[in-house]
Amino acid sequence: VPVPVGVLRLPRGPDGCSRGFSPSSPRFQALLGGPATTTATQGARATLRQRYLRGLAAARGRPTRFCLRTGVRVDAVFGAADVEAVAFQVDALRTPLGVQAAALLRCADVLAYSFLL
Amino acid sequence: MNDWQRKSPLDWETYVNKMVKVAAIEKHEYEGWVLTVDPVSASIVLATFLENEKVSISVVLGHAVQEVEILKEGDDEMKQRLSCIFAPEEGKAYSPEELEKRKNDLKTWLETNHIPVTEQGESGRTLCVAGVLTIDPPYGPEECSSSNEIILSRVQGLIQGYLEKQQ
Repeated sequence: VPVPVGVLRLPRGPDGCSRGFSPSSPRFQALLGGPATTTATQGARATLRQRYLRGLAAARGRPTRFCLRTGVRVDAVFGAADVEAVAFQVDALRTPLGVQAAALLRCADVLAYSFLL
Repeated sequence: MNDWQRKSPLDWETYVNKMVKVAAIEKHEYEGWVLTVDPVSASIVLATFLENEKVSISVVLGHAVQEVEILKEGDDEMKQRLSCIFAPEEGKAYSPEELEKRKNDLKTWLETNHIPVTEQGESGRTLCVAGVLTIDPPYGPEECSSSNEIILSRVQGLIQGYLEKQQ
């Protein structure tokens, strides 16, 4: 009797859609080649994204100030950002309870962040 | 999703290189030169030039943006300055002939090693390896770009070895 393979059900992602991207988002529609997609739009999207990624690379390792909701401000060292803009990874996060060596800040909680070049 | 996040990339592009005032939720306000708008999160990246030659970069997350007001248009000098902020550092400056030679040497070496490579872009400056990885001038490991990290690391290793042998 063949042993059935267990089916691994992954938990739902933080966005509620466990596929990791939202099928109704404009980016996914553009990927499908919907009616609104043109070469110019995709070209603009690519240029903007490339500049943004270079910006993230420049932020890495720099002391950053994050403005969270309800006036909360925290300082940390910028670590990384993920592809779908769900969270930021930071090092040396200064909190009232002490310095956290590494932490994740949810993008939904962050209003803005800034660093010096 | 708010109105700002719903804009098209062509719309967002019109804000680049302009001085803007961003009104965010919870009564926050940010002012600066727009470097870019991330198409994934609609986050606005602003640059402010400080007195001591330093630049302050602020990123306002797309979901927090309420209104963006254009204050000023950037002139050519400002556009040049803004485009250099995140530009990868130019180590050694090569002349056009040197760059052409480097490109052709690398292309020949890749072809000798049976790696498909073509020239792309305006004036064929960029090398395209197997259709998935591009190499910009000056054709070192740092100038490789690809969406496949395995191919990227392999080719970077190959180029690193090739350049070391050249030395």
